[in-house]
Amino acid sequence: MKYVKIIFSLILINVVDQKIASFTYEYYLIIPLTFLSYSLYVYKSDSNTSSGEAFLLGLFVDLISESFLGLNAVFFCLITYFINIYSNAFKIFSYLQICIFFGLASSAYVGFSQMIINLWNFSYVTLFISSVFNIIFCIFIAISSIYLPYFVKRRL
Amino acid sequence: MARISPTRGQKLLFLIYILTGICILYFDITSNSFQFLKNGFKSFKISSSYFLNQITVEQFKNLKERSKSKKFLLEENENLKDALDLSYLNNYLITKENKFYKDHDIIKYPSLDKSAQSPFKIAQLRSFDPNTFNCCDRHRMFIEIISDDENNFKEFMVFNSSGIIGQIIHSNKYSEVMLLTDISHYIPLKSITNDFFCNARGSGRPGIVICTYNPLVDTREVEVGQIFYSSGLGGIFPKDIEIGKVNKVIQIDPTTINLEIKLSANPLKSDLFGVIRY
Repeated sequence: MKYVKIIFSLILINVVDQKIASFTYEYYLIIPLTFLSYSLYVYKSDSNTSSGEAFLLGLFVDLISESFLGLNAVFFCLITYFINIYSNAFKIFSYLQICIFFGLASSAYVGFSQMIINLWNFSYVTLFISSVFNIIFCIFIAISSIYLPYFVKRRL
Repeated sequence: MARISPTRGQKLLFLIYILTGICILYFDITSNSFQFLKNGFKSFKISSSYFLNQITVEQFKNLKERSKSKKFLLEENENLKDALDLSYLNNYLITKENKFYKDHDIIKYPSLDKSAQSPFKIAQLRSFDPNTFNCCDRHRMFIEIISDDENNFKEFMVFNSSGIIGQIIHSNKYSEVMLLTDISHYIPLKSITNDFFCNARGSGRPGIVICTYNPLVDTREVEVGQIFYSSGLGGIFPKDIEIGKVNKVIQIDPTTINLEIKLSANPLKSDLFGVIRY
């Protein structure tokens, strides 16, 4: 049941991600919403997410987002590995540091994925604007969680 | 509760999965090995969304239409719209492609002899991702060819009322069309005077293809606004069809000049296409 929930959430977030991308791309901005949501899920898990789960969910996202197979699988494995490694270290980090970590991770995702799917028109402007925006976006999410109702806050 | 750091075995598993992912990615990029899987999933996605649409949205629409006395007018309106789209396609062949009829061996193909009025097959757009079209190198679309005979439509040319938009690369229930702007697509072009030939590669940007040539080998000057036509040398597209105008002439280095050609055809113009084998 847990995985069905995750899969449906990923499909829904991916649809939203694609809808948003059609507007933001004109402003040289890419927000990897699916990747960020998955990162948040791994970060908030009580136990370590397994490599197999990360790989299969990544492959599924590749399939639904019509990108090259293996692209998201590799990035999902990498982010899961880093979050698992630093899961205890995150506890001594401030929220700002954690936001910067996830912002930079999503920038790395944007950069590498653009190098693979859009190499001929790779844009440093897009990368720079996306990095700044993604860090701000993560900070905004962290701040906004304070104002959310208790039952949502507990999940975030 | 504290999370336990990954053990050495778990780290090794991560490494194995990452390497597997990289291998899959490499094979997918270089050899399109997983195309059947992607096409299968795509077909499933299109069919299921069509089915869901039919049993949900269309039912409500029908209910709404039934309640109105204008139903007949609506149907008539839709029929007229389809007829108008068809006439655009026909006009395209008549006006821009008259040489296509007169000069070439196209008439000898048996599939074209069946009906003089419709030498091409009509196809309906089934799936097109505008995000990928605007952001990335792969410019593809999926169409359904309305045809009774079970033909393999691979390498058929696809056009709409504004001109040639691409070619079919995989044919199944839904056919995958590689657009002219796809980074891995090449189309042989020529100038109107038949003295300049080049292969235009898709740029990965909407509406732009790029011709690269060596000015030391070909000394003819190309100007902005010059019109380029298909040369027919690739065997997929007929010759003398207008492809686009030179938008920019960019000198990369003394031996390389890039011609940015703005395509005259827009794949987003209509959801109805013509499919033909040259």
